[in-house]
Amino acid sequence: MAMNHATQDYLLPCGRDVEEVWDRLDEVDAGRADAHELDCPHCRATHESLRVLRGLTRELADDDAEPSPDLTGRIMAAVRAEVRRRELVPLASAEPGEVQVSDQAVAAVLRFAADTVDGVRARHCRVRRSAEDELAVDVELRLAIARDFDGDSLDVVRERVTAAAGARIGLRLARLDLVVEDIYDA
Amino acid sequence: MTREQPQAPATRLVETVITPPVIAAVSAHAAAKVPGVVRLEPGLRGLAGSLTRIARQKIKGLEPAPTEGVRAFLEHDPPDVRVEIDLSLSGLDQAAATAQAVQRAVTRAVTEATGLTPSAVSVSILDIEIRGGLL
Repeated sequence: MAMNHATQDYLLPCGRDVEEVWDRLDEVDAGRADAHELDCPHCRATHESLRVLRGLTRELADDDAEPSPDLTGRIMAAVRAEVRRRELVPLASAEPGEVQVSDQAVAAVLRFAADTVDGVRARHCRVRRSAEDELAVDVELRLAIARDFDGDSLDVVRERVTAAAGARIGLRLARLDLVVEDIYDA
Repeated sequence: MTREQPQAPATRLVETVITPPVIAAVSAHAAAKVPGVVRLEPGLRGLAGSLTRIARQKIKGLEPAPTEGVRAFLEHDPPDVRVEIDLSLSGLDQAAATAQAVQRAVTRAVTEATGLTPSAVSVSILDIEIRGGLL
């Protein structure tokens, strides 16, 4: 079953797309998983969620009742939420109870902040809990830069990403590594 | 969750029984109204449970109050209420501040509706929408 546009380009932390994982689910269940699929915790966890989804959709397919128009959207939103719930980083809160944020939500905000710098295109962003401070994160942000990019502008990237983490999320960056991995013609 | 309430005559007691879906529905309603909350996010199991509840209610001709994205936990001895909420936020407000506003709003709403104050309201932010820009 092909997935709709809402799931396209939705990357797991390991770099595989959810749609690709979905397409290969039958192969995995038939014992033809590749080495990555056998070892990767993100892919394995996504397989489990997608099996639940497949079970639900088969039950719905067997049901004669007409599904509500937004049911598919709700199911796909639930799949995305399931994936995002796996890697959470804590935020400070003065109230009783925890506040956590998905590493992928953090990554999206930081990529967006980097993209606001002229001549910079943010690519993969990895967010991990800091080993030294439980309320801070270590970030590795991979960038492509324009051919005429001013090298000093990397400092601007660093400033904007750090500012966005604090102002938009409430998160402190213990470490921010910028990796310039490609160059493009502006 | 059971509360015992004195009622006239003074020697007679009545019970008020509050179940997790009630706590979850009150919490969901309060959380969704906090500025900056775009939507609550049910996982697959939460969605499956919610659809089952909706189906049961509709058989009875009722429109159930939404609980998707909220899990409520009740302990009887000692009495304790905990709430977990998964949601998405707009990128316009600071996520941590909005999440704390959700914690306060849910605590207040559950206390007002049931007389039980949650010992913890935990918030997981699963998505931050940045379509309108951030900076």
